Amino acid sequence: MTWDPTCVTEELVVNMGPQHPSTHGVLRLILRLDGERVLEVRPDIGFLHSSLEKIAERLDYRQYLPYTDRYDYLCAMANELAYVRAVESLLGVEPTPRCQWIRVMMAEMNRIASHLVYYGALGMDTGATTVFLYCFRERERILQLFEDASGQRLLYHYFRIGGLRNDLPPGFCEGLRSFLDEFPRRVAEYDALLTRNRIFRSRTEGVGYLSPEAALSYGVTGPTLRGSGVSYDLRRAAPYYVYPELEFDVPTRPEGDVMARHLVRQEEMLQSVHLLHQCLDRLPPGEINVKVPRKLKPDPGEIYVRIESPRGELGVYLISDGSEKPYRLHWRAPSFHNLQAYPEMCQGAYVADLVAILGSLDIILGDVDR
Amino acid sequence: MRKRYGDNLWDLLRILAAGAWSILVGLYITGINLIRPGVCERYPRRDHRPDYQPRPGYRGDFALLSDPERPGGLRCIACLQCQNICPDQCIHITPEGKGKDRHPVQFRIDTGLCQFCWLCVEVCPVAAITMTPDYETATDQPQKLIRDLDTLRERGRNIPEPQRVEPVGCVADGGA
Ligand code: SF4
Ligand code: SF4
Repeated sequence: MTWDPTCVTEELVVNMGPQHPSTHGVLRLILRLDGERVLEVRPDIGFLHSSLEKIAERLDYRQYLPYTDRYDYLCAMANELAYVRAVESLLGVEPTPRCQWIRVMMAEMNRIASHLVYYGALGMDTGATTVFLYCFRERERILQLFEDASGQRLLYHYFRIGGLRNDLPPGFCEGLRSFLDEFPRRVAEYDALLTRNRIFRSRTEGVGYLSPEAALSYGVTGPTLRGSGVSYDLRRAAPYYVYPELEFDVPTRPEGDVMARHLVRQEEMLQSVHLLHQCLDRLPPGEINVKVPRKLKPDPGEIYVRIESPRGELGVYLISDGSEKPYRLHWRAPSFHNLQAYPEMCQGAYVADLVAILGSLDIILGDVDR
Repeated sequence: MRKRYGDNLWDLLRILAAGAWSILVGLYITGINLIRPGVCERYPRRDHRPDYQPRPGYRGDFALLSDPERPGGLRCIACLQCQNICPDQCIHITPEGKGKDRHPVQFRIDTGLCQFCWLCVEVCPVAAITMTPDYETATDQPQKLIRDLDTLRERGRNIPEPQRVEPVGCVADGGA
């Protein structure tokens, strides 16, 4: 049976969301449909807006730190890292070597945890519930390590301006090592269970194509961009902390479809394991905190700091007017920019493909709306 | 237009065989996981970790540490630093006395507003306030979320030392 493009049926406008289970938060999609085929998608965002940029203007630099966890709740460490780096560069403070290594470790662990949620959620979106449970089992081990180190499971508030809340607790390195030894075998299991599954493959291969030119023009970053064949990773392109000393690959796939983005993320988890092994081997002893003044008053000025979060380029634009509070703080949220390319990817897709494409973007609505 | 089915019978058979193989692989993996030890917790019973307690340093419910030598029986010197740093302004203290005798007569923490960020614990100069690993604080009335001085004092009675996280070194395995 083939689709005849000259056959025109009546168009239908449908709302998908805001409470649709597969929209990963609260996102409303306004669809213009021709039968099962999507003519136009308009994402309607803003349901999770929480004024986090404005809140920064009424709090001092230290008080705002716990808030950074709260908008992209799956990679809180990455948000803290971006903010802490921005404030430290404004203050002219350089964290100690041990602190830098621990920060990198935490960011990579958080990358694995975040990709595991993505992995399971994409499986759920395409109808495979089992892999979701397995992913959460592995994620739980990382969260347990985070809980031991920082005192909480999701909203860590572990980094401090000039250092960390505390050093790594006893048993942390052993726990992490046993997790790392086991994890690649688990990824191979997911790979056989989900990625090589015939149904999953026909749901994802060739679906949601995004060309490299379009991806760049929309400002798409992270695994979504690398899934379109552009090798751009801020850990390589603008390295920070100890990344220049570490050895890792930047996985890219040329296909630009859902499967390509999926494979990039799967490979990235293994690269993070590789990075974490190196971190554990080379973690130096020493101090974790540098002395910062009790009242933080950076000189007037502005700064833009960016890091590679699990979702892409996470940037913080910070203006100081010399007082204790930021004059203006802006987040360049990767989810927001990646979502811009969504209508482009959905050209000519079926309704059932929409959830798979959205899942492969790995957006967090708290991050989109801030 | 994407091709979902093969062009001819041979293709169709190949796709069917690949699909059947996927199902077998899937069943094999789920079968292996069936005999692995379980990880799920039935919450109040906690089958797998019956006496699990979060480590000290977990950010749970609050407590004020006691010091029998001081007025009010608390270490707190009512310096109001925790009240000032709290990002949510959920600590309210009424101080009394001057100099060494300064102590709180009212100490309210609204844990409904609190975001459990640990800043108040960190800022306290005499390590008087702390957070315990007690996380079961759910209640059916918002008023019950407000901790007053007596509750906090009572909760702090059994905590001998300030529950600060010891900075225990953890260096590379090859190193020290
Ligand atoms: S933990 Fe944070 S939010 Fe809660 S009372 Fe202390 S400073 Fe305030
Ligand atoms: S910071 Fe410590 S001593 Fe000061 S008021 Fe708070 S609990 Fe009391």
